[in-house]
Amino acid sequence: MATVITETGRAAAIPACLFAWLLPGAGHLYLRRTAKGLAFLGAIGALFVLGVAMDARLQMSLGLDDILASLFSLAQMAIGVPYFAARALGFEAGQVTSVTHEYGNTFTAVGGLLNILVILDAYDTAVGRKP
Amino acid sequence: MRSHLVVLLLFSALVSGVFAVLLREDTKSRLRFGLMAFGAFVVSALVVGWIMHPFPS
Repeated sequence: MATVITETGRAAAIPACLFAWLLPGAGHLYLRRTAKGLAFLGAIGALFVLGVAMDARLQMSLGLDDILASLFSLAQMAIGVPYFAARALGFEAGQVTSVTHEYGNTFTAVGGLLNILVILDAYDTAVGRKP
Repeated sequence: MRSHLVVLLLFSALVSGVFAVLLREDTKSRLRFGLMAFGAFVVSALVVGWIMHPFPS
């Protein structure tokens, strides 16, 4: 059965998605799904923090000359403010010689990719497709 | 953090937790799904690692 999307739901969806991008779980907190929001904030936040602690590279690489690097940067950027805050705090370069460098890259990119799913979940929740 | 196993366990636990909350609605099924996903992550990583073991780097 098709879900009827109300005007209220549509209006709530935009800020919910924006908050969800800015900070993992914030979209759900905005929609008063507190437990879900805190779970996303804790898990995705931990993935990102651990990734940075494991010397991940956070350099922004956008363009068509290196598609894989661009996709990697986009995945990391999907985590929102923490990505830009970590870059501003000087964690941009990472440490390529570190044993855990590639693990850190994986943690930060997967955290961002999971946050895209969380943004879509916040949208579905806002428009009434999910409880 | 230099232990590969600890990193694998941490990664698996966090990602399974997010998937469980995203894909299931009640606590009991979230717990069951999360444990299943965690086990699948860990076991599949160990199996793939074991398969790759004979190949030189």
